[in-house]
Order: sequence, then structure tokens, then C-alpha cells
Amino acid sequence: MTTDNLNISETSSTPAIQANWEDGTVHMQGDSYPENSFELFQPVIDWVERFLREAKRPLRLELDLLYLNTSSIRALMDILDMLEEAHTRGTGISAVWRYDAANERVGQLAEEFKEDCTFPFEITART
Amino acid sequence: MSSRPDDDELDQRIETLLRAEHDGNPLRPALEALFDRYRTQQRLLDRLTRISDHFQQAERDRGLNYADRYQRKVRQIEKIVRISDRYQTMLRELNDRLHLISTRDELTGLPNRRYLLERLDTEISQVARNGGTFSVGLADIDHFKSVNDTRGHAAGDAVLAHTARCIQDSIRDYDVCARWGGEEFLILFPQCAEDDAFRLAERVRHVVEDQTRALGLSPAITLSIGVTEFQPGESLDATLKRADDALYRAKEAGRNRTVGSAPDGA
Repeated sequence: MTTDNLNISETSSTPAIQANWEDGTVHMQGDSYPENSFELFQPVIDWVERFLREAKRPLRLELDLLYLNTSSIRALMDILDMLEEAHTRGTGISAVWRYDAANERVGQLAEEFKEDCTFPFEITART
Repeated sequence: MSSRPDDDELDQRIETLLRAEHDGNPLRPALEALFDRYRTQQRLLDRLTRISDHFQQAERDRGLNYADRYQRKVRQIEKIVRISDRYQTMLRELNDRLHLISTRDELTGLPNRRYLLERLDTEISQVARNGGTFSVGLADIDHFKSVNDTRGHAAGDAVLAHTARCIQDSIRDYDVCARWGGEEFLILFPQCAEDDAFRLAERVRHVVEDQTRALGLSPAITLSIGVTEFQPGESLDATLKRADDALYRAKEAGRNRTVGSAPDGA
């Protein structure tokens, strides 16, 4: 990989994904029901892995996700597991999940994802 | 691995014997060689046992590690399933809501025109397949425009909602009334010939009028209704056109009445 940043455009079935090496942020926004979730998320997983290995700096995950299909749920859980591991090794990790206040269910689902994470994980309703 | 006490005792006895001066005893070199071989064997056995124990321990750790990883995977899959189910529930509820929104008239809560058109298509298919018949009644609130003009749109909306409730309460469970547009309602009377539909429409008309009189509304809300029966082979448009014509005649004849589409209908 030559570029340090990741920039995947949003489609009707996949979220917009930006990973910024300089800022140490990963941002995902939109719906996620890709036909091939491996194809979509592997670059993200690789990027996070490389950042945690090489950057030695805090990493922040920002999520504005609405609907996730099953394989996307799995990929996101893998990413959260990686972050949790980095957190226990002492890397500064934080996450935020923003959702529309009108859709309280999304907030409840974010809570489910948060369950096994011990790093700071904010869930905030947008009004 | 330590030897048993008996072994230790025997070892000591032999060591004592070998230390003592027994030159010339032909058994001594043999005993010495044998004891030496025994010692070597003993050390070998100890080492073998230790190595074997290590292997067993490693295998055991590996097994536990697998079990641990397996448990973690199971937990992860259970969690994925749980979250996935909740997403599905969310989508299903959204789907139900969209379905409701797309088939209901917001103001009156009645089924909307789109819903009834689909129902009428189904009804026509059923009549074509199984025989039987059905009728429709097109009802229009009399002088509705003047309600809107003199008492405002909020009052007009209230009249529409009230009329819708009256109609809904006065039809049979399997009849369907939809808000057809403006102040028009279309009622489907399944398995009903025109004369029966006529009687049912009259009941609706009376209920609406009586209810509004009971509320003290002045002038009372009344309906004009055109009723017609579906004719096998004709298009839905043809049926609706006949109901519309009958409604027109009801208005022409002075309103607050039901008119059928039969040649001598009324």
C-alpha cells in the first residue's frame, strides 16, 4: 500500500469509509449490506492492523452506521476485537457511535457492539 | 523421578559393598559394571519420563487453547446472530410501518385508493375464477365544499374523519371502504348483487345522517351514493364509470339518496 489514507465512497449498499493516518481516525457512515463484505472490509482491517503496528499513536473509531447485514456485523466485531486487544496492550483507543435520535433501536444495537469493549465507547443520539 | 525407598536401600547396600575392599572377589567387577549400567538406565528412564510429561502437558495446553478459542468463536457467533436478528426486527417493523403508510389514508385512517384498487383487482380475479359477483358504492359528502368555505379546512377535515368513522361502523366486517379522493369514498361489497348492495348503501347513508344529527351538526352531513354491480368480463374502469354515473344521478335528483345503475335503478 502506497497511500496512508483510505477513502471508500458510499454506495446504496455500502458505507462511506475514511481512514486517516495523520489524524488516527477511522470513520464509517451509511448502510452496509455488501454482496462481498470481505472485499469491502479487508482493506479496513488491514489498515487498522498496520496503524496499530506501526503508528504507535491513539486510534479513534467513528461510526454513523444504520443498517448492517450479518457479515458486516462480523467484520465490525473483528475490528472492535482488534481495538480491544490494542487497548489492553496500552494503545489509546476510543470509539463513538452516532445515531439518529428518532431511531432508538440503532442506539440499542450500538450497545450490543459495545458490550465486550473496555475502551471508551460513546453512543450519542443526534437530534 | 525419585526412586522408591526400597530401591534407595538396595542402592545404598550395593554402593557400600563396592566401596569396601573386596579385591580378588571375582563378582566385584561384574557387580560394578552391572550397577553402572543400572544407573545409566535409570537416568535414561527419568529423562524419558520427563520429556513424555512435557509433551503431555503441551498437548493438554493445546487442547485447552482450542477449547478456549472454540468457546470464544461460539460466543462471537451467538452475538452476531443476536445482533443480526435485532436488525431484522428493526427492518420488519419499518417495513410494516411503510406498508401501513402506503395503504392508509392519513386523515381518515381508512384504506387509501391504492389499497382498494388492489383489492378490486383481486376481487375481479376471484369472480373470474370462482364465479359470484361483487358491487361497489361510490359515496360523496353533500355540499362539502360549503363546509370548507364557510367553516374552514380544519372543520372540513373533521367532517371527513367523522364521516369515515360512521361509514366504517355501518358496513359489514368484510366490506371495505376507502377514501377515494377529496370527499369521495368507495365501498366494496364482496359477494353482493346490486340490490343487496343498494340496501347496504342505504344503511350507510342513514347512519351517517343520523349520527351527525345526533351530534347537532347543522346542516346535517348527508351522502349521495351511486351503486353498481360488477359485470363479468368488463374492466374495472367500466364498473367505476357506472358507479360515478349513478352518483351523478343521485346528486341531480336532489342529493342525500342512493341510486343504482340498473336501467330503472333508484
